[in-house]
Amino acid sequence: MEKNMRSGAVWVVAELRGVQPHAVSLQLVGKARSLADQLGAKVEVILLGEDFAESAEILIASGADTVYVGRSKELAVYQSDIYAEIIVGLAQQKRPEILLLGSTFMGRELAPIVAARLQTGLTAHCIDLVLDESQILDQKIPAYGGLISIRCPEKKPQMATVAGGVFPTPELDASRSGNQVQIEIPEKIHNRARVIEMVKEKNEEQSLEDAQFIVAGGIGNGSLDGWKNLQELAHSLNAALGCTRPVVDEGWADLETMIGQSGKMVSPQFYLGVGLSGELQHMVGVKGAQIMMAVNNDRKSPVFEQVDYGVVEDCNTFIPLLIEKLNEAK
Amino acid sequence: MKIVVCVKAVPDPKEADKIKIDPETKTLMRGDVPFATNPLDKHAVEAALQLKRTLGGFVTILSMGPPAAANVVKECLALGADRGILLSDRAFAGADAFATAYTLAKGIEKIGRFDLVLCGMASSDGATEWVGPQIATFLNIPVVTMVNEIHHESGDEWQVKTAWEDGYRRVAVQLPALLTVARELNEPKNLSFSGIIKARKKEITAWSLAELDVAPDSVGFEGSPTVVGDFGTLQTARNVEFLEGTAEEKAKLLVDILTESGAIG
Amino acid sequence: MIDFTFTEEQEMFRKAAREFAETEVAKYVPEMEETSKVPEGLLKALGEAEMLAITIPELYGGLELGYTARLIALEEIARVSVATAMMLQVFALGIEPIVKFGTDEQKQKYLPGLASGKLLATAAVTEATGGSDPSGIRTSYRKEGDDYIVNGRKCFITNAHIASTLTILAKNEENPKEFCAFIVEQGMQGFKATHEEHKVGFRGCNTGELAFENLRIPKENLLGQEGKGMRVTMSAIGDVGRGGMVGCALGLQTACLEASIKFANERILYGKPIAKLPAIQDKIAEMKIDLEAGRLLGYRAASLQDSGTGASNEFAVAKYFTTEAAMKAAKIAVDVHGGYGCMEEYAVTRYYRDAAVLGPSAGTSAIMKVIVARWTLA
Repeated sequence: MEKNMRSGAVWVVAELRGVQPHAVSLQLVGKARSLADQLGAKVEVILLGEDFAESAEILIASGADTVYVGRSKELAVYQSDIYAEIIVGLAQQKRPEILLLGSTFMGRELAPIVAARLQTGLTAHCIDLVLDESQILDQKIPAYGGLISIRCPEKKPQMATVAGGVFPTPELDASRSGNQVQIEIPEKIHNRARVIEMVKEKNEEQSLEDAQFIVAGGIGNGSLDGWKNLQELAHSLNAALGCTRPVVDEGWADLETMIGQSGKMVSPQFYLGVGLSGELQHMVGVKGAQIMMAVNNDRKSPVFEQVDYGVVEDCNTFIPLLIEKLNEAK
Repeated sequence: MKIVVCVKAVPDPKEADKIKIDPETKTLMRGDVPFATNPLDKHAVEAALQLKRTLGGFVTILSMGPPAAANVVKECLALGADRGILLSDRAFAGADAFATAYTLAKGIEKIGRFDLVLCGMASSDGATEWVGPQIATFLNIPVVTMVNEIHHESGDEWQVKTAWEDGYRRVAVQLPALLTVARELNEPKNLSFSGIIKARKKEITAWSLAELDVAPDSVGFEGSPTVVGDFGTLQTARNVEFLEGTAEEKAKLLVDILTESGAIG
Repeated sequence: MIDFTFTEEQEMFRKAAREFAETEVAKYVPEMEETSKVPEGLLKALGEAEMLAITIPELYGGLELGYTARLIALEEIARVSVATAMMLQVFALGIEPIVKFGTDEQKQKYLPGLASGKLLATAAVTEATGGSDPSGIRTSYRKEGDDYIVNGRKCFITNAHIASTLTILAKNEENPKEFCAFIVEQGMQGFKATHEEHKVGFRGCNTGELAFENLRIPKENLLGQEGKGMRVTMSAIGDVGRGGMVGCALGLQTACLEASIKFANERILYGKPIAKLPAIQDKIAEMKIDLEAGRLLGYRAASLQDSGTGASNEFAVAKYFTTEAAMKAAKIAVDVHGGYGCMEEYAVTRYYRDAAVLGPSAGTSAIMKVIVARWTLA
């Protein structure tokens, strides 16, 4: 019994999207790889599901040394009691050093359950993970206008959830080798919260406050026809569409969709401003986006000081092109 | 039905941006931002009151906080809850989500038999979303998070609906259970004058460490597996990377960025 | 030892009133400004939120919370809509004479409905020949058997068209020194609400004229003693009427101050927010000082009223001070906003117009000073 030996491994609980690994899982494996290399440890991934094609191979190509595979009908969709039981059992057996999950719907529910059962600490929505001098993870989160480091110095595994887009997606290296280990799934797990159905829905009108992706349009869109392009873009991106005051004044959009100081305050993960100048009254309504992008035909526009990616183009020509490329990618 | 609603007293979200961290001492400078009920907990209280109206029962408000947090509990009583309990003790201070959940779970155990525990799915000032699921785990009851619809017609197994990636999920959960609730579940009612009058007769009890029968090192700062380390500054201005090339090339680049970051597909 | 703090319960009342004002009243303001009509939904919301029941005894379905609670509610509602606060305060004005001077039968008949909002009240004293001088009114009554026949017209009456229960003042046809207060009910033969006023401010609060033409009032509707009507109506106006104006004014002062602070912090000139400029800070300080002073005057008078001592003189002081201060604050707020202060899209333009109507309501500033002088020199 390896009771007192720590494997010291960096673990990731991977998630599936369809039959592929979720983008955030790959990003976490990439980050886990870099942490593990610094620790001289292994990267191990738990993959649960029913049908996941080449996912285990992709996880290995992304940096995993071992993938614990749990494949069964019971695991087809995430159910808290079942997934927690398996993950906790494995973790208690293998004693990882670090355990990462994506801040997805599943991660946000599962991570705290696992952490409580393992009697360990957990940090939510980290925007960075760094090993400090004593090889303990510095888990960084934004708070109160600054950046706070949270540490879990004694309990193991150190657990953290991270949102998609925080870390880069690793390059796939098909030459990497790793092994897949079949997990023994316990016979009768008492499932007290049984999923009856998981339904995918086309999002009709997302509310701005809940939207993960917001496209915001300004007066630079020129006309109602120009605005209609934006509506189509938002639809293609499965994003909510917001606007600035001049757009409301023009009558292209409703006051309810105005984002800004005297409008809605939003906190999407992704923001794309099209044909707006980045005026304070509007930008102050957008908080904490992971990635901000803008399209404007003036390179000197103040909006470009507040975004991560800029495209200097006339929006009436660029947006239809963007829609085209998006449709090609689907 | 015996329902416990876990409520957190948070700095009033309307004034929350006045709170800063002192870079020297790394402590929170709360100024005199008053306490208010965590907005999502209001939805949990409303859900409990609606269930009480339909199914009959008793609603207990449970909160962990300093003595000043009692007015938040009082407000919940004014909304219609029956009894309030405030877990208050210096020993509970400095708790992370784990220690908070543990302390609240112990409070619930002391309250006794219950059918349902309700919490808002996240707090406005911490937003880990973890206290609910951890309370459930410590109580060894099932948990479903982000509930936006509750159907309670079928005895001890209730059907709830929650948002899920790209859609929703329906879960059949066995009582006793803990549900964390989303904004869409209901519209909380405003405080009423007559509710405030009725609350005069309702009891708020304060429980300290002694009443809870827990080891001092399992709560508060001592009982927290995580600790706050350094405080640094956050870059607010962003360094823009201009995409270059023809319009078409830039469009393609942008699509790549969106795919990589998980914004799409 | 004087305790100037509100109780925990009073803070909760304030919170409830603020929440109500922000979630249930604010949405009607644009409609009220545009149509000048009283929205049905607003009346319903006021009734459901128990705002009409605050000063009505529990025995008759009220909350019996007293005048400090009333002032708190009015202040919070006025901060969002002075028109609504005015309408609400005048409901109480019509209710007070019935509570103070009504017979058990009268209280039983009217108060429960007034508490729930099924019935709406007002008081009607003012006429073209006398508002500041109520003894100059011409509406008169004569006895006919057990009934009274009333003839005359009232003007500038708040809630004229929506009130179902109106306390009116009339003088004895034969003896101009004798007055009677009557409870008039909507629908009575010979009573009509006629002309509706278009006011520069308080839009959405209904103001109009009443006409009595051989209005037959049964003796059951005499309020208080025959011949003592002046006392009945003036006591209500003295405390409740003036107190209500204090609530309206304080709320407006707060709204002006908050709007000015917000604008001053956001408007950038010379590279920084104008809140950093001494000229603006001076104005903000003036508004704040007036607000602090006004609140102390108002709540002290209300607390005297709650203790059972009359406070009509103290309310005269408070009414004068706060309504004048509100006019000042509205002008300052408009000034702080610069050019934007003339644009209707900015709420301060409405505050400016609303402030203009505060002064003449429930006794002009000049009359307040007459009262205060009388009190001081007595």
